[in-house]
Amino acid sequence: MEMEMSELIDKYVKGQLSPEEMKALEEKARQSEIFRKIVDDHVELVDAMVEYGKRMELKNSLDKVHSDMEERVVPIQKKQSGWKKYWPHTAVAASVAILSVVGTIWVNNFMNSAQEAEFKALRRNVDQIKKSQKILEKDIAETKKKRKGFAGNYAGTCFMISRDGYLVTSYHIVKDADSVHIENEKFGTIRASILFNDPANDVSVLKIDTAIWSLPFTIEKEEANLAEEVFTLGFPREDVVFGEGAVSALSGYNQNPNSYQVSVPVNPGNSGGPLLNNKGNLVGMISGLQTETLGAAFAIKSTVLLEIVAGDSLKQVITLSRQNSIRNANRVAQVKQWKDYVFMVRVFKN
Amino acid sequence: MTYYFDELIVSEIRKKNEVALRELYKTHYPMVVHLVCSNSGTEQEAKDIYQEAVMAFYERVQQPAFTLTCKIKTYLYAVCRRLWLKKLHEKKRFNGSIEEAESFLGVEDEMTTIYEKERRLKRMGSSLNGLGEPCRSIIEDFYIKDSSMEEISIKFGYTNADNAKNQKYKCLQRLKKLFFEDFNN
Repeated sequence: MEMEMSELIDKYVKGQLSPEEMKALEEKARQSEIFRKIVDDHVELVDAMVEYGKRMELKNSLDKVHSDMEERVVPIQKKQSGWKKYWPHTAVAASVAILSVVGTIWVNNFMNSAQEAEFKALRRNVDQIKKSQKILEKDIAETKKKRKGFAGNYAGTCFMISRDGYLVTSYHIVKDADSVHIENEKFGTIRASILFNDPANDVSVLKIDTAIWSLPFTIEKEEANLAEEVFTLGFPREDVVFGEGAVSALSGYNQNPNSYQVSVPVNPGNSGGPLLNNKGNLVGMISGLQTETLGAAFAIKSTVLLEIVAGDSLKQVITLSRQNSIRNANRVAQVKQWKDYVFMVRVFKN
Repeated sequence: MTYYFDELIVSEIRKKNEVALRELYKTHYPMVVHLVCSNSGTEQEAKDIYQEAVMAFYERVQQPAFTLTCKIKTYLYAVCRRLWLKKLHEKKRFNGSIEEAESFLGVEDEMTTIYEKERRLKRMGSSLNGLGEPCRSIIEDFYIKDSSMEEISIKFGYTNADNAKNQKYKCLQRLKKLFFEDFNN
């Protein structure tokens, strides 16, 4: 019974029914829900099959077109025999290539980590000097009474930024210090206290209980220009040392935007020294050098220093100098003025 | 806008001219290879996708209401691009966007029909595969190749057409079960 019905629907789908039969079937479908469902399913199934058949046929013809198309590229395929013939050679060559590539990458990585530019803090270990000094002391009997044991573990440079006794220096000099003394020709030795540390920028603010009338320079609020001439004063030895050069890059170590790269000759002990421009204004503070590059020293920008000393983190108001009285003076006169405000820092640690 | 070459191709394809289909296929294949191969695919994958798109186009062209609204190239590129994005998504390898050379409006609707059709064809393929022989051949011969029951009974060695009919009926019932079971899941 069902089989006959299926056959009937087959005929219906294929359009082989006579008009009367067609009418009867449609009438039946209208009356019976179940029958209609059977017809619909059947029709859908056959439709899907027909569609599938057409699609397969089409796909076959496209495949044929495709293989025809690829046959034209036969020369390349024929080379396969050559490839088969030479594959051991190729394999060896490939493995050598892979080895060398991997090896290069590995070696590169290794070298990179080893060669990672060492940032050597310009902190002068005075111990060595102490030794030679002791020999000198023996010779000079006079030194017995003075200076004995009075050489800090570390030394660096610092300079005054305001007339009420604030100074800045590098954080790495005064880090973990028990006591800090500063010293120069004009002021002698003064004990300083550490007010504030900014390890991220390598800046520390020191305070002494000495006030002066006024400072001859100001702090530049604008960034320096590339190739601008700059000079510095510092204490790489017991005497103040002058060095000059130019701003060679507007970013520092590892593209640090807070620093300049300067071509000023610096040595351990120069850290914390002021970097000055033609007007004698402060443009930065020497912070370190790159060991494997010749003549690459770094200086923290004065704009960053300003942010620190004028910022809230200090919790004190610093009276910054507003006037520059050495603007038109020559370099010698400028240095003469400046060196009174640059100090050697001695740090004592246990 | 008129695209003379494209119009010609379309009218020839409508006449089921194999040469036109062949030309169409060859013309745009490199574009799709480039699209797929430069977006982490292989040439085999490019071929599958391209054939899918060409077949969708072919079937669309056969519809009486079809008119060309854009270049065939644009249509194929847009469809292939969408198909490939879907494939990449399924492979969970997609984390970028394939730049759109030309925006092609209306491809959204097109894609739903293509996906639906693809799904249905897949079901039918797997249902037919699940049928086994000789059922599959009988069904295919009768419904797809339009052979008569007499031809089938001779081909498959049935003693009379009624036996063949019986067999065909059983096969069809099984196919129905497979197809709708799968399809509705």
